[in-house]
Amino acid sequence: MSSSNSSDDKVAREARWQELMRAAQDGDDAAYSRLLSELLPALRRMVRYRWRNYEGAEDIVQDILMSLHSVRHTYDPGRPFMPWLVTISSRRIADAARRASSRSAYETTVETMPETFAGDDAKNEQDTSDDQEAIRVALSGLPEGQRQVIELMKIQGLSLQEASAHTGKSVASLKVTVHRAIKAMRQALERKT
Amino acid sequence: MSAMRTEDLIRALAKDAKPVERLAHPAWRAMMWMMVSVVYVAAFLWVVGVRPDLSNKMSDPRFLIEVGAALLTSMMAAAAAFCAGCPGRPLWERFAPLPFLGVWLASLGEGCWRQWLQAGPEGLHLQVDLTCFQSITAVGIVPAIAILLMIRRGAPIAPMSTTGLAILAATALGAAALRLFHTQDMSLMLLVWQFGSVALLAGFGFLAGRYVLRWSLPQLTADVGSHPPSC
Repeated sequence: MSSSNSSDDKVAREARWQELMRAAQDGDDAAYSRLLSELLPALRRMVRYRWRNYEGAEDIVQDILMSLHSVRHTYDPGRPFMPWLVTISSRRIADAARRASSRSAYETTVETMPETFAGDDAKNEQDTSDDQEAIRVALSGLPEGQRQVIELMKIQGLSLQEASAHTGKSVASLKVTVHRAIKAMRQALERKT
Repeated sequence: MSAMRTEDLIRALAKDAKPVERLAHPAWRAMMWMMVSVVYVAAFLWVVGVRPDLSNKMSDPRFLIEVGAALLTSMMAAAAAFCAGCPGRPLWERFAPLPFLGVWLASLGEGCWRQWLQAGPEGLHLQVDLTCFQSITAVGIVPAIAILLMIRRGAPIAPMSTTGLAILAATALGAAALRLFHTQDMSLMLLVWQFGSVALLAGFGFLAGRYVLRWSLPQLTADVGSHPPSC
Protein backbone atom coordinates (compact mmCIF):
# COMPACT_ATOMS: atom_id res chain seq x y z
CA MET A 1 0.00 0.00 0.00
CA SER A 2 2.78 2.40 1.04
CA SER A 3 4.91 1.49 -1.99
CA SER A 4 1.91 2.20 -4.19
CA ASN A 5 1.54 5.63 -2.55
CA SER A 6 5.23 6.28 -2.99
CA SER A 7 4.99 5.35 -6.65
CA ASP A 8 1.99 7.64 -7.08
CA ASP A 9 3.91 10.45 -5.39
CA LYS A 10 6.78 9.98 -7.80
CA VAL A 11 4.46 10.03 -10.80
CA ALA A 12 2.73 13.17 -9.51
CA ARG A 13 6.07 14.84 -8.79
CA GLU A 14 7.39 13.94 -12.24
CA ALA A 15 4.28 15.43 -13.88
CA ARG A 16 4.52 18.57 -11.72
CA TRP A 17 8.20 19.09 -12.52
CA GLN A 18 7.57 18.56 -16.24
CA GLU A 19 4.87 21.19 -16.13
CA LEU A 20 6.98 23.62 -14.09
CA MET A 21 9.91 23.18 -16.47
CA ARG A 22 7.70 23.77 -19.48
CA ALA A 23 6.45 26.99 -17.85
CA ALA A 24 10.02 28.00 -16.94
CA GLN A 25 11.09 27.55 -20.56
CA ASP A 26 8.31 29.95 -21.50
CA GLY A 27 9.71 32.54 -19.08
CA ASP A 28 7.53 31.96 -15.99
CA ASP A 29 9.99 32.93 -13.25
CA ALA A 30 7.63 31.95 -10.40
CA ALA A 31 7.31 28.42 -11.80
CA TYR A 32 11.06 28.30 -12.30
CA SER A 33 11.78 29.45 -8.76
CA ARG A 34 9.36 26.84 -7.40
CA LEU A 35 10.90 24.11 -9.55
CA LEU A 36 14.48 24.89 -8.47
CA SER A 37 13.41 25.12 -4.82
CA GLU A 38 11.75 21.72 -5.09
CA LEU A 39 14.80 20.28 -6.81
CA LEU A 40 17.21 21.57 -4.18
CA PRO A 41 16.72 18.83 -1.53
CA ALA A 42 16.96 16.13 -4.21
CA LEU A 43 20.14 17.66 -5.60
CA ARG A 44 21.69 17.96 -2.15
CA ARG A 45 20.91 14.30 -1.49
CA MET A 46 22.38 13.31 -4.83
CA VAL A 47 25.59 15.29 -4.27
CA ARG A 48 26.08 14.18 -0.68
CA TYR A 49 25.54 10.56 -1.68
CA ARG A 50 28.59 10.89 -3.91
CA TRP A 51 30.55 13.39 -1.80
CA ARG A 52 30.27 12.19 1.79
CA ASN A 53 31.77 14.66 4.25
CA TYR A 54 32.96 16.86 1.43
CA GLU A 55 32.92 20.48 2.49
CA GLY A 56 32.45 21.71 -1.09
CA ALA A 57 29.19 19.78 -1.65
CA GLU A 58 27.09 22.94 -1.64
CA ASP A 59 29.35 24.44 -4.33
CA ILE A 60 28.58 21.44 -6.52
CA VAL A 61 24.85 21.82 -5.87
CA GLN A 62 25.11 25.45 -7.01
CA ASP A 63 27.15 24.36 -10.02
CA ILE A 64 24.41 21.91 -10.97
CA LEU A 65 21.71 24.55 -10.57
CA MET A 66 23.58 26.92 -12.88
CA SER A 67 24.21 24.11 -15.36
CA LEU A 68 20.48 23.27 -15.41
CA HIS A 69 19.80 26.94 -16.00
CA SER A 70 22.27 27.26 -18.86
CA VAL A 71 20.87 24.25 -20.76
CA ARG A 72 17.21 24.48 -19.80
CA HIS A 73 16.36 24.87 -23.49
CA THR A 74 17.53 21.28 -24.07
CA TYR A 75 14.63 19.83 -22.07
CA ASP A 76 11.98 18.34 -24.32
CA PRO A 77 8.57 18.66 -22.57
CA GLY A 78 7.47 15.51 -24.33
CA ARG A 79 10.07 13.47 -22.48
CA PRO A 80 10.45 12.56 -18.78
CA PHE A 81 12.06 15.20 -16.59
CA MET A 82 13.99 13.02 -14.14
CA PRO A 83 16.41 11.44 -16.68
CA TRP A 84 17.19 14.95 -17.95
CA LEU A 85 17.90 16.15 -14.40
CA VAL A 86 19.89 13.10 -13.34
CA THR A 87 22.04 13.13 -16.48
CA ILE A 88 23.09 16.74 -15.98
CA SER A 89 23.61 16.32 -12.24
CA SER A 90 25.69 13.17 -12.66
CA ARG A 91 27.78 14.87 -15.32
CA ARG A 92 28.50 17.89 -13.12
CA ILE A 93 29.28 15.72 -10.09
CA ALA A 94 31.71 13.73 -12.24
CA ASP A 95 33.27 16.97 -13.49
CA ALA A 96 33.71 18.16 -9.91
CA ALA A 97 35.30 14.83 -8.98
CA ARG A 98 37.72 15.14 -11.87
CA ARG A 99 38.62 18.70 -10.87
CA ALA A 100 39.17 17.65 -7.26
CA SER A 101 41.25 14.70 -8.37
CA SER A 102 43.47 16.80 -10.63
CA ARG A 103 43.92 19.37 -7.84
CA SER A 104 44.91 16.71 -5.32
CA ALA A 105 47.46 15.30 -7.78
CA TYR A 106 49.49 18.49 -7.25
CA GLU A 107 49.13 18.54 -3.46
CA THR A 108 51.20 16.68 -0.86
CA THR A 109 50.17 16.24 2.74
CA VAL A 110 53.09 16.77 5.18
CA GLU A 111 53.20 16.72 8.95
CA THR A 112 55.93 19.35 9.26
CA MET A 113 56.20 22.12 6.73
CA PRO A 114 59.70 22.16 5.19
CA GLU A 115 61.92 25.20 5.68
CA THR A 116 61.67 27.43 2.66
CA PHE A 117 63.86 30.43 3.53
CA ALA A 118 67.40 30.75 4.82
CA GLY A 119 66.58 33.67 7.10
CA ASP A 120 66.43 33.21 10.85
CA ASP A 121 62.71 34.02 10.89
CA ALA A 122 61.97 30.92 8.87
CA LYS A 123 64.07 28.61 11.08
CA ASN A 124 62.89 26.70 14.02
CA GLU A 125 64.50 27.06 17.43
CA GLN A 126 66.68 23.98 17.04
CA ASP A 127 68.11 25.12 13.69
CA THR A 128 68.93 28.57 15.08
CA SER A 129 70.61 27.05 18.13
CA ASP A 130 72.68 24.69 15.93
CA ASP A 131 73.83 27.59 13.73
CA GLN A 132 74.83 29.71 16.71
CA GLU A 133 76.83 26.89 18.24
CA ALA A 134 78.71 26.27 14.97
CA ILE A 135 79.55 29.95 14.64
CA ARG A 136 80.71 30.07 18.24
CA VAL A 137 83.07 27.13 17.64
CA ALA A 138 84.38 28.67 14.41
CA LEU A 139 84.98 31.97 16.18
CA SER A 140 86.81 30.38 19.05
CA GLY A 141 89.14 28.69 16.58
CA LEU A 142 90.38 32.03 15.21
CA PRO A 143 93.68 33.61 16.29
CA GLU A 144 93.30 36.14 19.13
CA GLY A 145 93.67 39.25 16.92
CA GLN A 146 91.14 38.10 14.34
CA ARG A 147 88.64 36.99 17.01
CA GLN A 148 88.83 40.35 18.72
CA VAL A 149 88.16 42.25 15.47
CA ILE A 150 85.18 40.03 14.60
CA GLU A 151 83.71 40.44 18.06
CA LEU A 152 84.04 44.20 17.84
CA MET A 153 82.76 44.70 14.30
CA LYS A 154 80.34 41.83 13.66
CA ILE A 155 78.95 41.16 17.14
CA GLN A 156 79.16 44.53 18.88
CA GLY A 157 78.56 46.36 15.57
CA LEU A 158 81.43 48.86 15.74
CA SER A 159 82.43 50.71 12.59
CA LEU A 160 85.89 50.47 11.08
CA GLN A 161 86.85 53.82 12.60
CA GLU A 162 85.57 52.88 16.04
CA ALA A 163 87.28 49.48 15.91
CA SER A 164 90.47 51.25 14.76
CA ALA A 165 90.31 53.61 17.74
CA HIS A 166 89.61 50.66 20.06
CA THR A 167 92.42 48.40 18.85
CA GLY A 168 94.94 51.02 17.65
CA LYS A 169 95.17 49.28 14.25
CA SER A 170 94.75 51.12 10.95
CA VAL A 171 91.49 50.87 9.01
CA ALA A 172 93.31 49.09 6.13
CA SER A 173 94.74 46.56 8.51
CA LEU A 174 91.32 45.92 10.06
CA LYS A 175 89.81 45.31 6.61
CA VAL A 176 92.44 42.66 5.88
CA THR A 177 91.98 41.10 9.31
CA VAL A 178 88.17 40.91 8.92
CA HIS A 179 88.53 39.38 5.45
CA ARG A 180 90.94 36.72 6.68
CA ALA A 181 88.84 35.99 9.77
CA ILE A 182 85.63 35.51 7.81
CA LYS A 183 87.41 33.32 5.27
CA ALA A 184 88.79 31.15 8.07
CA MET A 185 85.38 30.89 9.75
CA ARG A 186 83.71 29.95 6.46
CA GLN A 187 86.25 27.19 5.93
CA ALA A 188 85.69 25.95 9.46
CA LEU A 189 81.87 25.90 8.95
CA GLU A 190 82.22 24.10 5.61
CA ARG A 191 84.42 21.48 7.21
CA LYS A 192 81.79 20.98 9.87
CA THR A 193 78.94 20.44 7.39
CA MET B 1 32.84 27.80 0.81
CA SER B 2 30.11 29.14 -1.46
CA ALA B 3 30.21 32.81 -2.34
CA MET B 4 26.39 32.91 -2.42
CA ARG B 5 23.66 31.16 -0.48
CA THR B 6 21.97 28.54 -2.65
CA GLU B 7 18.54 29.98 -1.95
CA ASP B 8 19.83 33.37 -3.15
CA LEU B 9 21.23 31.71 -6.24
CA ILE B 10 17.82 30.20 -7.01
CA ARG B 11 16.24 33.65 -6.69
CA ALA B 12 18.88 35.09 -9.03
CA LEU B 13 18.38 32.29 -11.57
CA ALA B 14 14.61 32.71 -11.51
CA LYS B 15 15.05 36.42 -12.06
CA ASP B 16 17.27 35.62 -15.06
CA ALA B 17 14.73 33.14 -16.51
CA LYS B 18 13.90 34.61 -19.88
CA PRO B 19 11.87 32.52 -22.34
CA VAL B 20 14.10 30.11 -24.23
CA GLU B 21 13.84 28.58 -27.67
CA ARG B 22 13.56 24.84 -27.16
CA LEU B 23 16.04 22.65 -28.95
CA ALA B 24 14.48 20.96 -31.97
CA HIS B 25 14.31 17.17 -32.15
CA PRO B 26 17.71 15.61 -32.96
CA ALA B 27 16.35 13.92 -36.10
CA TRP B 28 15.07 17.25 -37.40
CA ARG B 29 18.38 18.96 -36.66
CA ALA B 30 20.25 16.12 -38.39
CA MET B 31 18.04 16.57 -41.46
CA MET B 32 18.68 20.31 -41.49
CA TRP B 33 22.42 19.71 -41.25
CA MET B 34 22.28 17.10 -44.01
CA MET B 35 20.43 19.46 -46.31
CA VAL B 36 22.97 22.25 -45.83
CA SER B 37 25.86 19.81 -46.25
CA VAL B 38 24.44 18.16 -49.36
CA VAL B 39 24.03 21.56 -51.01
CA TYR B 40 27.68 22.31 -50.27
CA VAL B 41 28.83 18.89 -51.49
CA ALA B 42 26.78 19.29 -54.68
CA ALA B 43 28.43 22.66 -55.30
CA PHE B 44 31.82 21.09 -54.65
CA LEU B 45 31.12 18.29 -57.14
CA TRP B 46 29.92 20.83 -59.67
CA VAL B 47 33.24 22.67 -59.36
CA VAL B 48 35.59 19.67 -59.43
CA GLY B 49 33.46 17.49 -61.75
CA VAL B 50 32.36 13.89 -61.20
CA ARG B 51 34.45 10.91 -62.25
CA PRO B 52 34.03 10.00 -65.93
CA ASP B 53 32.87 6.43 -65.21
CA LEU B 54 30.25 7.42 -62.65
CA SER B 55 27.31 6.20 -64.70
CA ASN B 56 28.91 2.74 -64.94
CA LYS B 57 29.73 2.73 -61.24
CA MET B 58 26.14 3.59 -60.38
CA SER B 59 25.11 0.18 -61.71
CA ASP B 60 27.69 -1.62 -59.56
CA PRO B 61 25.95 -2.91 -56.39
CA ARG B 62 29.21 -3.02 -54.45
CA PHE B 63 29.87 0.63 -55.22
CA LEU B 64 26.32 1.56 -54.23
CA ILE B 65 26.56 -0.39 -50.97
CA GLU B 66 29.87 1.25 -50.11
CA VAL B 67 28.73 4.80 -50.87
CA GLY B 68 25.31 4.19 -49.33
CA ALA B 69 26.88 2.84 -46.13
CA ALA B 70 29.16 5.89 -45.92
CA LEU B 71 26.19 8.20 -46.41
CA LEU B 72 24.09 6.38 -43.80
CA THR B 73 27.05 6.43 -41.41
CA SER B 74 27.19 10.19 -41.90
CA MET B 75 23.46 10.67 -41.31
CA MET B 76 23.31 8.42 -38.27
CA ALA B 77 26.48 9.94 -36.78
CA ALA B 78 24.97 13.41 -37.15
CA ALA B 79 21.72 12.29 -35.48
CA ALA B 80 23.72 10.58 -32.73
CA ALA B 81 25.80 13.73 -32.17
CA PHE B 82 22.64 15.79 -31.74
CA CYS B 83 21.14 13.15 -29.43
CA ALA B 84 24.33 13.20 -27.33
CA GLY B 85 23.70 16.86 -26.56
CA CYS B 86 20.22 16.20 -25.19
CA PRO B 87 20.35 15.09 -21.54
CA GLY B 88 18.23 12.10 -20.63
CA ARG B 89 18.18 10.45 -24.02
CA PRO B 90 19.09 6.73 -24.16
CA LEU B 91 22.74 5.87 -24.44
CA TRP B 92 22.26 3.44 -27.33
CA GLU B 93 21.52 6.34 -29.66
CA ARG B 94 25.20 7.28 -29.60
CA PHE B 95 26.03 3.90 -31.15
CA ALA B 96 23.48 4.23 -33.96
CA PRO B 97 26.10 4.78 -36.71
CA LEU B 98 28.01 1.61 -35.80
CA PRO B 99 25.97 -0.87 -37.95
CA PHE B 100 26.41 1.32 -41.03
CA LEU B 101 30.05 1.89 -40.22
CA GLY B 102 30.36 -1.89 -40.01
CA VAL B 103 28.72 -2.36 -43.43
CA TRP B 104 31.03 0.27 -44.92
CA LEU B 105 34.09 -1.39 -43.42
CA ALA B 106 32.87 -4.82 -44.48
CA SER B 107 32.32 -3.65 -48.07
CA LEU B 108 35.90 -2.36 -48.18
CA GLY B 109 37.15 -5.58 -46.58
CA GLU B 110 35.22 -7.67 -49.08
CA GLY B 111 36.78 -5.61 -51.88
CA CYS B 112 40.26 -6.30 -50.52
CA TRP B 113 39.48 -10.03 -50.32
CA ARG B 114 38.09 -10.07 -53.85
CA GLN B 115 41.12 -8.25 -55.26
CA TRP B 116 43.40 -10.67 -53.39
CA LEU B 117 41.62 -13.60 -55.01
CA GLN B 118 41.76 -12.00 -58.47
CA ALA B 119 45.34 -10.73 -58.49
CA GLY B 120 47.07 -12.21 -55.44
CA PRO B 121 49.44 -9.95 -53.47
CA GLU B 122 49.64 -7.58 -56.46
CA GLY B 123 45.97 -6.84 -55.92
CA LEU B 124 46.74 -5.43 -52.51
CA HIS B 125 49.52 -3.08 -53.52
CA LEU B 126 49.54 -0.06 -51.23
CA GLN B 127 50.85 3.33 -52.30
CA VAL B 128 51.03 6.65 -50.51
CA ASP B 129 48.03 8.68 -51.61
CA LEU B 130 47.28 11.75 -49.56
CA THR B 131 44.58 12.87 -52.02
CA CYS B 132 41.98 11.04 -49.97
CA PHE B 133 42.88 12.88 -46.78
CA GLN B 134 43.04 16.24 -48.53
CA SER B 135 39.78 15.69 -50.41
CA ILE B 136 37.89 14.43 -47.38
CA THR B 137 39.12 17.44 -45.43
CA ALA B 138 38.14 19.82 -48.24
CA VAL B 139 34.67 18.31 -48.67
CA GLY B 140 34.11 17.81 -44.97
CA ILE B 141 35.27 21.17 -43.66
CA VAL B 142 32.03 23.09 -44.26
CA PRO B 143 29.76 20.30 -42.93
CA ALA B 144 32.13 19.97 -39.97
CA ILE B 145 31.93 23.67 -39.14
CA ALA B 146 28.15 23.59 -39.57
CA ILE B 147 27.65 20.64 -37.26
CA LEU B 148 30.10 21.97 -34.66
CA LEU B 149 28.16 25.21 -34.55
CA MET B 150 24.89 23.31 -34.24
CA ILE B 151 26.00 20.95 -31.46
CA ARG B 152 27.14 23.89 -29.36
CA ARG B 153 23.45 24.58 -28.66
CA GLY B 154 23.18 21.24 -26.89
CA ALA B 155 24.32 20.37 -23.39
CA PRO B 156 27.97 19.29 -23.11
CA ILE B 157 27.14 16.17 -21.11
CA ALA B 158 29.29 13.94 -23.34
CA PRO B 159 31.61 16.37 -25.13
CA MET B 160 34.06 13.84 -26.52
CA SER B 161 31.41 11.52 -27.96
CA THR B 162 29.51 14.47 -29.35
CA THR B 163 32.42 16.01 -31.24
CA GLY B 164 33.73 12.59 -32.30
CA LEU B 165 30.35 11.71 -33.80
CA ALA B 166 30.04 15.17 -35.38
CA ILE B 167 33.40 14.87 -37.12
CA LEU B 168 32.56 11.30 -38.14
CA ALA B 169 29.38 12.63 -39.76
CA ALA B 170 31.26 15.31 -41.70
CA THR B 171 34.15 13.09 -42.80
CA ALA B 172 31.93 10.14 -43.76
CA LEU B 173 29.97 12.51 -45.97
CA GLY B 174 33.28 13.71 -47.41
CA ALA B 175 34.34 10.11 -48.05
CA ALA B 176 31.05 9.32 -49.81
CA ALA B 177 31.45 12.41 -51.98
CA LEU B 178 35.08 11.50 -52.70
CA ARG B 179 33.94 8.27 -54.36
CA LEU B 180 31.94 10.36 -56.81
CA PHE B 181 34.89 12.35 -58.16
CA HIS B 182 38.05 10.40 -57.29
CA THR B 183 38.80 7.41 -59.55
CA GLN B 184 40.52 5.32 -56.93
CA ASP B 185 38.83 1.89 -56.71
CA MET B 186 41.53 -0.20 -55.05
CA SER B 187 39.81 -1.42 -51.90
CA LEU B 188 43.01 -1.52 -49.85
CA MET B 189 43.80 2.07 -50.83
CA LEU B 190 40.26 3.07 -49.93
CA LEU B 191 40.48 1.18 -46.66
CA VAL B 192 43.76 2.75 -45.60
CA TRP B 193 43.62 6.25 -47.04
CA GLN B 194 39.90 6.93 -47.18
CA PHE B 195 38.51 5.02 -44.22
CA GLY B 196 41.74 5.67 -42.32
CA SER B 197 41.38 9.43 -42.86
CA VAL B 198 37.82 9.30 -41.56
CA ALA B 199 38.89 7.32 -38.50
CA LEU B 200 41.85 9.63 -37.86
CA LEU B 201 39.84 12.84 -38.13
CA ALA B 202 36.99 11.44 -36.04
CA GLY B 203 39.56 10.43 -33.44
CA PHE B 204 40.91 13.99 -33.35
CA GLY B 205 37.36 15.23 -33.03
CA PHE B 206 36.80 12.89 -30.11
CA LEU B 207 39.94 14.08 -28.32
CA ALA B 208 39.12 17.75 -28.93
CA GLY B 209 35.66 17.40 -27.39
CA ARG B 210 36.55 18.72 -23.95
CA TYR B 211 38.08 21.85 -25.46
CA VAL B 212 35.32 22.50 -27.98
CA LEU B 213 32.27 21.90 -25.82
CA ARG B 214 32.33 23.49 -22.38
CA TRP B 215 29.68 24.49 -19.90
CA SER B 216 28.80 28.11 -20.31
CA LEU B 217 27.40 29.09 -16.94
CA PRO B 218 25.36 32.27 -16.51
CA GLN B 219 27.04 35.44 -15.31
CA LEU B 220 24.38 36.54 -12.89
CA THR B 221 23.94 40.24 -12.38
CA ALA B 222 21.25 39.95 -9.75
CA ASP B 223 21.63 42.05 -6.62
CA VAL B 224 21.81 39.01 -4.37
CA GLY B 225 25.13 37.59 -3.20
CA SER B 226 28.36 38.12 -5.02
CA HIS B 227 29.70 36.18 -7.99
CA PRO B 228 28.63 32.63 -8.81
CA PRO B 229 31.17 29.81 -8.67
CA SER B 230 33.04 29.40 -11.91
CA CYS B 231 32.69 26.44 -14.21
